[in-house]
This record gives sequence, C-alpha cells and structure tokens, in this order.
Amino acid sequence: MALQIEDLVKRYPTGTEALKGVSLSIEAGEFFGLLGPNGAGKSTLIHCTTGLASPTSGSIRVFGHDAIDHYEQARLGVGLAPQDVNLDWFLTVEETLDYHGGYFGMRRRDRKERSAELLDAFSLTEKKDERTRTLSGGMKRRLILARALMHRPRLLILDEPTAGVDVELRLELWQYVQRINAEGTTILLTTHYLEEAEQLCDRISFINGGEIVATGSSDELAERFGVSSLEDAYLELVGRKELSRAHLASEEAA
Amino acid sequence: MSSGTVTEPREQEREGVLRLSPRQIRFLALVRRECNRFLKIKRQTIGAPLLETFLYISVFGAALGSRINELHGFDYVVFVIPGLIMMAWAINAFANNSSSILQQKFQRAIDDQLSSPASPMELLLAFSLGGFLRGLVVAILTFVAASLLVDLPVEHVLVLIPGLFLVGFFFAQLGVFVGVRAEQFDDVAVWQTFVLTPLIFLGGVFYSASLLPQPFETLTHFNPVYYMIGIVRYGFLGYSETDVALSLLVLTAAVSVLVALNYRLFTRGTSLRA
Repeated sequence: MALQIEDLVKRYPTGTEALKGVSLSIEAGEFFGLLGPNGAGKSTLIHCTTGLASPTSGSIRVFGHDAIDHYEQARLGVGLAPQDVNLDWFLTVEETLDYHGGYFGMRRRDRKERSAELLDAFSLTEKKDERTRTLSGGMKRRLILARALMHRPRLLILDEPTAGVDVELRLELWQYVQRINAEGTTILLTTHYLEEAEQLCDRISFINGGEIVATGSSDELAERFGVSSLEDAYLELVGRKELSRAHLASEEAA
Repeated sequence: MSSGTVTEPREQEREGVLRLSPRQIRFLALVRRECNRFLKIKRQTIGAPLLETFLYISVFGAALGSRINELHGFDYVVFVIPGLIMMAWAINAFANNSSSILQQKFQRAIDDQLSSPASPMELLLAFSLGGFLRGLVVAILTFVAASLLVDLPVEHVLVLIPGLFLVGFFFAQLGVFVGVRAEQFDDVAVWQTFVLTPLIFLGGVFYSASLLPQPFETLTHFNPVYYMIGIVRYGFLGYSETDVALSLLVLTAAVSVLVALNYRLFTRGTSLRA
C-alpha cells in the first residue's frame, strides 16, 4: 500500500475541523484523484501526509512507514508539488534542485546527475543559473514539479499542478506524469479539472466538508450518483446539479 | 591504480573519504542554504556591518577617543573595540536568522525543508548556524581590521573564544525565536530597534558602567548584555567589571533555555506547520 490513512482528524486551534476522521487507501502504482470543492480538506490531508500540518488524531502510513511520529522513512518516499508557488527567491533553478536533493540525503554526484536529467526533462536547462523569481509562471510550475521528483519519490503528490498553466505545459506535464506512473510511481492528484481526473486517474475520492464521501472509478462514481459523467457526479456532490450540461441541455430542449 | 581513481571528481573523493551519512548530507545542505543566502547578498550582510563598525571605531575611537583619557588603563579606542566585535556578532546573528526564517515563511519556501526528513533539532541547529556563521565572519573581519588600526591585546583566549561563541549562539537562537514567531517584518524590526539596540548600547559597549552616576550604574546591572561585554572585554583586555565565571555560567544557562524553547517550537511546529 502506498498510502494508508485511518481516522485522520485535523482540528485547528480555532475549533475548525478540517478533516473529520478521513480514511483512505492508495495502492502502490495507482493514479489516484482527490476531488472536492475549495475548503473540502484536500490540501489539509496532503499537508498532514507531508508533515506540513500536524494531525489531531489518526494514522498515516506511507509504504508502511509511519508518517506522523517516525516520519523519516515516510518522507523519503513522498514528493510534493504544492498548489502555491513556494520557490526560494535566493536560489537559482539548479540550486533549488540541488538543495532539495541535499535535504533528502542525496549524494552530490547523484544530485548533479538527477538535476541535469530533470532540467532536461522539464526544458529548464537554459534557465539553470537564473534565480527562481525571474522565471515565468509556467517555468516556476515546471521547477516545482522537478523539485518534487528530485529525490525519486515512490509517491508523488500533485496539489492542483495545472492551475493557471498553458495548454502545452499541461499536456507536457501529463505525459511526463503518466510515464513515471507507468514506471511505477504512485500519483495522488488533486485538481479542479474534472476531465483531467477522468482521463488520468484509476480511482477517485470525493472529499467534502472534511469527509470522504465516495471512492471509485469515474464510471463507478457516476453510477453511484445516478448520473452519466464524473462532472455531474461532482455537481451532485456539491449540490449544484442545476449547472449540469445535461440538465441545461434538457432545459434548452424543453 | 586505475585511471578512474585519478580522474574522479573532487566531490566524489570527498564523499569517499568522509563517508557522509544521509543525515549529515541533509544537515550540511540545510546549513549551506542559510550561508548561501547571506553570501549572495554580502554587500548587505557583511559589507554594511563592517562599514558600520569601522564608522564606530572612527567616530568613537579616533575622533572622540582623542579627547578622552584612558579608561581603566586602556586607550579609549582599545576599550571599546571588544564590545564592538561582540556587538557585530550579536546583531548579525540575530538579524540573519530572524529575517531568513521570516522570508522563507512568507514565500512558504520553508515548506521544502519542513517536508524533508530533517528532525526538529536538525532544522533548529541549521537555521541557528546561518546567523552564527555570518556573525563569526563579520566579527573576524572586524577583529582583523581593528588589529590593523590599533594594538589590540588578547589576554585570555580560553575565555574569549567560548565567551564570543556563547554570545553569538545566544543571539542566533534569539533570531530563530523571533523569526519563527514573527508574522510580519515589523515584528523583527521592533525587536531590533526597541530591544536589542538599546540593550547593547546601554550595556557598556562605549563606556565603563562604573563611571555612570546612580541610578544608571545600578540599572546597568540588570542588562544581560553588560555581562556579555564583561566576558568579551576580559578575554581581550584582561579587565572586567563583572564576575566573568558567573557570567559565563549564566550565559550558558540562558543559551540552554533558548535552545529548549526553540526546540519546543520546532517540535510542535508552532508558527511553522499548520
């Protein structure tokens, strides 16, 4: 099992319960989608898994390793491409990858080889000596993904990686991610682009109000909500079925 | 010997010789990042403090000092230089760590370190060492420059080095504490302007507290920096108005308390993790 979460609760000091006993299992090698509206608890779940938030209770295991109390092995297995651009302005593109590799204990020679490989894969080689703050939005996104992959994680977490990127980059990015998934990397993806999730994910969980409300393939979810597409299932989930294309088409016809 | 051994890159040789563990590589990377930051803006982080100290020496030493008789048997400029060296280390250690951590928190770049396998103690020490080393560089350069200008004795090196290291580490820890707790740059500036600068200036860097009228002389004894200057001045000049052994003990205790406090912040993730 790549990721096993049981009864995860995250309560903030303000009293807000962002996660209300979430349980989730992702098999090794799966391409898994986590969908839900803003504020549903997606990022909180990801932050708890990667050590950026401290869970109130529950357990998280990454490839069998405890990710909360004895996190060293667990964190070595996870790569995170966060939703917001969080690059270090003082570093160049190459340094960003090199330091990240260092934080994960990679030897210098390995870091050099791996960063050269990723700079090439993400068309960043020409920019390697530029400071991160001078990069365009698309370049920053590429670098964030390259950084997440630097230490060769077995579980890659992509938190809305295509928000605000152009079509070419989105397609390039998915090709790369699909390739590494085929090579064995487990992917956990959150996105608001439902067609992406439909095309890429083996299984999808809907999360809403801090709870997992349904899990299955995109067809299974559509069937469960008694609709014909993942998008309609999602709209049912968030209580906005009047926005459904099928619904609008039938109204137009009427 | 195979030709491969001869042509191996230096870093490979170093790894082979040192056999660094992943934990050591990780810690070095964390420290390197902190040093890299201040070295990239060295005009601001090293050049400016050096100029500032040079100006202090010029104004208080050369200009003002020529009108002041000896203080406790030392030329005025010689009397103030130990305090200036300590002040340079203290202010730079504090400023570096507080602003580095706050900047990384603002950009959320710190998440890269926080989501790594690094332990709270590794993170705390690495962040502390950044400012500590910057302070060390500035202090050494100040010492070298001052030695070129005046004849500066070093009477008790075995008190001076641990004393300066403790002072540097104390302010490095304080910088980490303020950087972690700060929510905006104003929070850091308030500490620097309204706490550190008055304490350092009123701690006796530029004068001897024993010459102050009451109640100022007594008030000075409540200033922790007064005892730090006492240690450093004793190390350089062999003269101190304070009990050096007791000051060293109290300073060690204060550093331990700050380390414990910061360790708690890093373990709990206060102001760092959600």
